[in-house]
Amino acid sequence: MDCIRKKVEEEIARGWIGPDTSCDYHPCHFSGQDCTFCYCPFYPCNDTDLGEMLVGKRGNEVWACSDCLFIHRQDVCRFVMSEIGRLGITTSGDPRLPGIREEAKSRFHRAGRAMMVVGATSDAGKSVTVAAICRILHRRGYLVAPFKSQNMSLNAKATRMGTEIAMAQTVQAKAAGLKTPDSHMNPILLKPKKDTVSQVIVCGKPYADYDVESYYSEFVPGPGRTIVRENVDFLKGRYDFVIMEGAGSPAEINIYDRDIANMGAAVEADADVVLVVNVEWGGAFAYALGTVELIPEPDRSRIKGVIFNNVRGDPERFRPGAEEFAAICGVPVLGIVPHGDFILPSEDSESLRGMRRKGDGSCLVGVVKYPRIANFTDLDPLFLEDVSVVFVEKAEDLDGVDAVVLPGTKNTVGDMMWMEEKGIADRVRALRGRVPIAGICGGYQMMGRELDDSDGLESGSPRVIDGLGFLDMTTKFGEYKKRVVNSDGTMLVGDGGEISGYELHMGMSEVNEEPLFEITNNQDRGPVKEGAVRDSEMVYGTYLHGIFDKKPFRSYFLSKVSRDGRRVDTSDVRDYDDVLEENIEKLADVFEANMDVGAILRMLGVGE
Amino acid sequence: MLGTSSDAGKTVCCAMICRYLARKGLDPVPFKAFNLSLNSYATKDGGEIGIGQAFQAWACGLEPETDMNPVLLKPSGGRRTQAVVSGKPLLDVETDTAAYRSAAQEAISASLGRLSASHGFVVCEGSGSPAELNLMDTDLANVGLMRSAGVPAVLVGDIERGGVFAAVYGTWRLIPDDVRPLVKGFFVNRFRGEASILREGIERIEELTGMKCLGVLPLAPVRFPEEDSLSSSEGRMEGDDPRTAYMANVDVLLDAALESGFDFDALLEMSG
Repeated sequence: MDCIRKKVEEEIARGWIGPDTSCDYHPCHFSGQDCTFCYCPFYPCNDTDLGEMLVGKRGNEVWACSDCLFIHRQDVCRFVMSEIGRLGITTSGDPRLPGIREEAKSRFHRAGRAMMVVGATSDAGKSVTVAAICRILHRRGYLVAPFKSQNMSLNAKATRMGTEIAMAQTVQAKAAGLKTPDSHMNPILLKPKKDTVSQVIVCGKPYADYDVESYYSEFVPGPGRTIVRENVDFLKGRYDFVIMEGAGSPAEINIYDRDIANMGAAVEADADVVLVVNVEWGGAFAYALGTVELIPEPDRSRIKGVIFNNVRGDPERFRPGAEEFAAICGVPVLGIVPHGDFILPSEDSESLRGMRRKGDGSCLVGVVKYPRIANFTDLDPLFLEDVSVVFVEKAEDLDGVDAVVLPGTKNTVGDMMWMEEKGIADRVRALRGRVPIAGICGGYQMMGRELDDSDGLESGSPRVIDGLGFLDMTTKFGEYKKRVVNSDGTMLVGDGGEISGYELHMGMSEVNEEPLFEITNNQDRGPVKEGAVRDSEMVYGTYLHGIFDKKPFRSYFLSKVSRDGRRVDTSDVRDYDDVLEENIEKLADVFEANMDVGAILRMLGVGE
Repeated sequence: MLGTSSDAGKTVCCAMICRYLARKGLDPVPFKAFNLSLNSYATKDGGEIGIGQAFQAWACGLEPETDMNPVLLKPSGGRRTQAVVSGKPLLDVETDTAAYRSAAQEAISASLGRLSASHGFVVCEGSGSPAELNLMDTDLANVGLMRSAGVPAVLVGDIERGGVFAAVYGTWRLIPDDVRPLVKGFFVNRFRGEASILREGIERIEELTGMKCLGVLPLAPVRFPEEDSLSSSEGRMEGDDPRTAYMANVDVLLDAALESGFDFDALLEMSG
């Protein structure tokens, strides 16, 4: 407390500074933030609209403001600083400070408005539309939060707080200029586990497992609706706007009253709704009209516009039909958005369905596509290089590959058994030493000697099975506890370049191998070694997802490829993060040009 | 057979129905007025038709012939589209639109007339979605055919991407008033799971539209010819040549449909 007081007094003496781009941590919350008060002059405000009381390690109470953005808003900062000057306040203990906070709150703290983007089908373009709207609003200086009440995804990312959030919301948060997405933006995450059972993760923490029926009959009407409302309200209290994304179609009338991913969430958030339809497969007008008309009143009247997405060819040829549609439907068409190729992470396994090969580079990377493949967004940065990926579903798919990646899985034991059964495991074993092989998370666990699920927690029945045997390592699936953590560090091979990634797994491994990375910045531990490497055998294993995002490991791994004696061209030196930023900008430009931004702003209660 | 989208499963479902009718000895023949496809099949009579109709012909136990697909459009790069009418390359659709339309209309009527006269059942496949507002007045294969020949129709909706109720209802709503009564039924294609969970939704659609639901077809892991680049090519392929393999797959599909309780009797009744 004393040290905070001292810092605040320095800040008061220094006066208003605005955004501090010279700071190493800038922007720690959102781009455009005001850094005048790096330390809050009102700490601890004990105002639960802004922060919350946490219990510390020693059982002591700590006032936490990690989700509070209030003191970093420019209007708030300017007001507070001018009041401090006017009243001649010089110390942080001044009794007039709480009054200033109350006044600032009454002037500038308002509950934000929410709007929602639903899609006529899955893959309609909801995620990118939300990302585009987030960026468009961010460009206009608003503080925006993405939100998706319920996500069925195997691509999750670790947040700064050590919780999980779907990849799509991570990208949308980036589009909104936010440095740190948090679990309020994605309160309910469903991770398919076994055939009909999903693990339900609430606010970033494993909650319970449900099958389809009990999810709808127990979870949704019970805690589900409350969770959605509380989290939207939380975000509304901290951001100007909350841009929500639906899931699947909102017009599944067989489960309409149990659906908290679409109109149910819009009701809880009091949000207007825009419907996005992908025109690629045909029937777009029918999908749009049917979706609107099957949604019962009063919910239907929340739908304020339709966006036709992914139009190929001349959009003007599409326009007369769109106008006729609007006349029949009574809902205006707010956009006819052309097809665009953007490098953005793929959301779910739906987008991998039927895909056998991706990319057009000359280096062929075989990626084993297990039935329960997870976090395959790890592979996206490979497409920046001269690489094409073949998705391996049978042994022969490995013919002619120049490298192999064993990605993550939601069920290491089950998918290892699948690999054995398909003969893929033996083919991968035969490739050891001949091509570079990388294992990430579940794929890393498989590289060991043994997978010990003697409690049956991973595969449902107790068993201990052989791994690929590349590394002297055993993995035990024990307690129902998950490791979720972000890490930065350096490679212990090659030129020792920088790496970053995040861990997200169950199971603990005992490894007797040379480590692959040195982790220097880690949320919960000191410097530590990570992963395992046998460089001469070209075997690389790590728990870190996102390991190809940064250039050094990506090009080191690909440098091991020798295709008829030739090296792979790895001249693209960009970090994947920068590539995402470029593509978010391009995406927002396309939507700015082809969507009625004024109508979106009016929906949110502001003018152009 | 109308579809709610390009890839709803019209071609394969027509083949399955052809197979069913052939097994019953009802002498079916496939027909698709108009096809937009790069994959064509050379018939023995020296013509060129869409691969889908060749495959459906086999399902009927017939040799593919030109009448089964009188108009085939082949995108030939840039803005050019070549029309193959009655099996012969005819003209460039983009520059010669009026001539193409009258030739196409004439060929469609003539072919359908010949097939109706010589077979027990003509199983007609629509093209794309029948509810494309921007294409409605140039449509030959969906509303156009229903209007000119009074053909009754069923609508297939693909559930795989979700929104199937909206797709079926919206398509029915956008089909023009004069032909809408001809759309007698619908069914759901590519369903995974326990079909009873759809019941409430299906009943609502039946109630709203007056169409009867013929059934819910399970997703079958079998592979069929690719009509265009949008079709998926997953699934099993076994046999010495594609024809044998495809036919085995149609049988798999038909058996699965029969097992799921697909209402073929109602389908026969709808077709008069």
